[in-house]
Amino acid sequence: MLRPKPRLTALAAALLFLSALFAAPRPAAAGLSAREIMEHVDARDDGDNVTLQTEMVLIDKNGHQRERQIRAFMKDKGRDTWRIQFFVSPADVKDTGFLTYDYYSGEKDDDQWLYLPELHKTKRIASADKSSAFMGSDFSYADMNRRVLDEWTYKLLKEDEVDGHRVWLIETVPVNKTVEERYGYTKSVVFVRQDIFFPVRAVHWVKEGDRIKYMEVKKLEQIDGIWVATETQMRTTKNRQTQHSTILRWHDIRFNQEIDDELFTVRRLEKGL
Amino acid sequence: MGTFKMKIEQGFESFTARIVRFRWPVLALMLLLAVASAAQLPKLTIDMSDEGFLHPEDPILQVYNDFRDQFGRDDMIVLAVESDAVFSQPFLEKLKKLHTALEEKVPHLDELTSMVNARNTTGMADAIVVEDLLERWPESEAELGALRERVMANPLYRDRLISADGRFTTLVLQTDVYAAMEKSDEEILAGFDDLAPLGEEDGPGEPAARPRLLNDMERGRIVMTVNQVIAQFQADDFRIHLAGSPVVTSAVKKTMREDMMRFIRIAVLVIGVSLFLLFRRLSAVVYPLLVVALSLVSTLAVMARLGVAIKMPTMILPSFLLAVGVGDSVHVLALFFQNFNKSGDKRQALVAAMGHSGLAIVMTSLTTAAGLFSFFKAEIAPVADLGIFAAFGVLLALVYTVVFLPALLAATPLRVGKNAGSTEITTGPMARFLDRTTDFATGHSGKIIALWCVLLLAGVLGIFRLGFSHNILAWLPDTRPVKAATAAIDHNLNGSVTMELVLDTGRENGLHDPDILNRMERFAEALTVEDGWSIEAGKVMSVVDVIKEIHQALNENRPEFYAIPQEAALVPQEFLLFENSGSDDLEDVVDSRFQLARLTIKAPWQDAMRYVPFIEQVEAKSREIFGLRVQVTATGIMPLFGRIIFAAIHSAAQSYLIAFGVITVMMILLIGSVRLGLVCMLPNLAPIVIVLGFMGWVGIPLDMFTMLIGSIAIGIAVDDTIHFVYNFRRYFAESGDATDAVRRTLATAGRAMLTTTLVLAAGFFIFMFASMQNLYNFGLLTGIALILALAADFLLAPALMTVTAASSAGRGELLNR
Repeated sequence: MLRPKPRLTALAAALLFLSALFAAPRPAAAGLSAREIMEHVDARDDGDNVTLQTEMVLIDKNGHQRERQIRAFMKDKGRDTWRIQFFVSPADVKDTGFLTYDYYSGEKDDDQWLYLPELHKTKRIASADKSSAFMGSDFSYADMNRRVLDEWTYKLLKEDEVDGHRVWLIETVPVNKTVEERYGYTKSVVFVRQDIFFPVRAVHWVKEGDRIKYMEVKKLEQIDGIWVATETQMRTTKNRQTQHSTILRWHDIRFNQEIDDELFTVRRLEKGL
Repeated sequence: MGTFKMKIEQGFESFTARIVRFRWPVLALMLLLAVASAAQLPKLTIDMSDEGFLHPEDPILQVYNDFRDQFGRDDMIVLAVESDAVFSQPFLEKLKKLHTALEEKVPHLDELTSMVNARNTTGMADAIVVEDLLERWPESEAELGALRERVMANPLYRDRLISADGRFTTLVLQTDVYAAMEKSDEEILAGFDDLAPLGEEDGPGEPAARPRLLNDMERGRIVMTVNQVIAQFQADDFRIHLAGSPVVTSAVKKTMREDMMRFIRIAVLVIGVSLFLLFRRLSAVVYPLLVVALSLVSTLAVMARLGVAIKMPTMILPSFLLAVGVGDSVHVLALFFQNFNKSGDKRQALVAAMGHSGLAIVMTSLTTAAGLFSFFKAEIAPVADLGIFAAFGVLLALVYTVVFLPALLAATPLRVGKNAGSTEITTGPMARFLDRTTDFATGHSGKIIALWCVLLLAGVLGIFRLGFSHNILAWLPDTRPVKAATAAIDHNLNGSVTMELVLDTGRENGLHDPDILNRMERFAEALTVEDGWSIEAGKVMSVVDVIKEIHQALNENRPEFYAIPQEAALVPQEFLLFENSGSDDLEDVVDSRFQLARLTIKAPWQDAMRYVPFIEQVEAKSREIFGLRVQVTATGIMPLFGRIIFAAIHSAAQSYLIAFGVITVMMILLIGSVRLGLVCMLPNLAPIVIVLGFMGWVGIPLDMFTMLIGSIAIGIAVDDTIHFVYNFRRYFAESGDATDAVRRTLATAGRAMLTTTLVLAAGFFIFMFASMQNLYNFGLLTGIALILALAADFLLAPALMTVTAASSAGRGELLNR
């Protein structure tokens, strides 16, 4: 059976959703509505012209691990994002490349191309929504991207504490079936750190198969004044059993690099790193 | 022995005197027991699941559970929709509606696959599209035609999604393995803290509590809901056939439950009528029924208390206990009414009846229980349950008969009757029959022994022809729709059930090796193309199909590229492409390390026993193709059954030996002579050997039910022999004349033997009212065994006694002590 089709968006895009930020920590604003809190989250500077190394650890239910190293480049185009990523390891997929144009608007399908070095072929992968797995991980393409604010309704559930920081628990629900279909979640609860408007945890109710996904930021760092989740875990559970989990680690994050538009082309994809 | 026997008789007498004195407290106790037992009954569970047949610690079940943890359930519910216009707008629209309805309504649904959402991979010059087959709805006739062409040409779809002639299309439902645990949002949000940390350092650090497997009721509801949904869609141009092993199990369960209720009604009726004919009193009908009903309720209460569920074989327990448990009462009542009618003294009659029959009913109950208990180690869990709880119930019936029956009789006014139930009637058809039997048995002892020897020999020869079987579909009556549906699906789609192989390459990314993939392809081909397999594989599915599909799509859909890529470096890249194409189907066929591959063999429904040699053939073939590089494990519900039942039937032989051994020892102890004890076992052994031989000759196989016959029959049959020998020796000691002793034995004990055997045989013949073939066979054959056993006691035993008495050594032993 098919999962809703993916868009091959760039890994680094995760930064947008996970680590968009205000340069300076703001005091917890009392009396903010849920929507206002999410506006602050959405409005954070998430940096631009980024280069980074990604380490992706895939852990199956038996505890077996697979590791992938990926080199990624990312550039904002208005609210859209261009990304290009190359596998560094494992050896058997080295130099395999992905090029993606992620469109902020949910109505427009993302464009993605995959380059297979062994075949010397690039194929465009036609796709329709954001809910499918990102590179076989527990993150969906949607998880790696910023959500469109107006596509969700928000409710402040309560305040709590995570690792000594005050957080808001905000419930987000898709405004309609189309959005629900696109993201594959019937509901999410996001834990937003009050001091920096950073979502450090999230729980997603997956539409298909009664699964619950847990996102947890394991390591949060400030790089060039920008808050970045440098280690994030997503685990997919069913009946309280972890079925699969993924750890994403970011290294060598550099913002505001000189990145030419020309990097984000099929020609460049085929040329490799 | 004599004084020992006397002591026991005296013990029974004084015990019964006490029961009569304290009849009201005893009856209060009985009422209390009844209430307490009844209170437990709501806790009694019914488990007709496939795993229910296995002991939870069975290693074969472990392999199966591991498989399901990795790949999900293997037992699919298959709907095949038949129509002459599958590729038409109205049909496809209706199919989509059916798909949606199933998706919305069926509980515990993990995955539903049909033409609506089947994976459709298309390669173009510059792009790959992986989408649902009907994602873009065909609008015109031309598009419908193109769809038909595409579907019919896709080897992945053949027999899986569409029949070769394009007239059947399937919807396949895969249900959850585990029950969903209802959790509040609050608990789910706390999940960050509950889940054991999982990372490099602690690997599978899962919480210890394993979720619960879907229970019987939940699975029953799945099939029920599917049936309800189907009913709304069924039409002449949209004929839905429903099959698959969950559907078969569900039908068996339903039929069996209906049969069961019918048996209980008929058992009560038959026993009641027999008791009335025998004693012509209402009290003689109601009291024994009360006693056995209480034994049954108490036994079920103990099962409920211990959490032992009623399963398929244990379903025969209620009617079985009713029939077998009433025997004790018959013996007691026969003596009681005989005394009571003579003297009119209730207390004296009760004490005398219990004193006289106490030891006999204890011995007969013990032998019956021993026969049943011999199954306690059976490899089929519910057969072991049946052995244990039926034996327990029989002993309980004994205790209740000894305690409650006298109390009931003592507590209520009874009128003195005339002769009814007397064992000393010397006229009437029964007396004439018994008299003639005596003449015949003692007059032709040599011929009778010779005849039985011939029958025994034929039986032994027949036993070698016995076949084994486990085919629950064949048990069902032909009127059950699942039978026709299974036949239709097997015929048109090459199979309705699956068997699973797990291929372990022994290393991570082992499945990236084209050589291994090539061998897998060869293996699959051998399974479907070569002859000589004991299971005819309809289709073999594995990761090989996926890689071929990707490879073809990568090469612009050219048919010649529907093949395994032969460059080792290409395989992992193609898998990576597939992982990113939006499909999660890989996890159904490989583990995430690409070390294990699942190979699903779809096959028509066949006797599960045929999977036993098939597994051996598969293992041999895999060694031939893979050598030692790949380890193959077979699992799945069908072969699982085959192996278990196969082992179980072999262990049934062990049960027979235990039953026979234990009962022989009891017989020897009772008679006080080894030689005589062994001689007396002949009339018990013969009926069972003859019945088993008969099964062998007429081709009735040994299955989960027929394998019970031997131990049950010997446990019951031996009762009559005990009564016969017991009485024969008493009369022989008095007269020293074998013929006279036989005549008097048959005239007295013979009557009780005849009536109890008829009641018991009737109790088993009740199973012939079953709509299920297995229960019919079980009832018929056990009933025949009991009647043969009576015949052996009426003919063979007297003949043997006559011959024994004729020799001086035998005479000495008969008279000994």
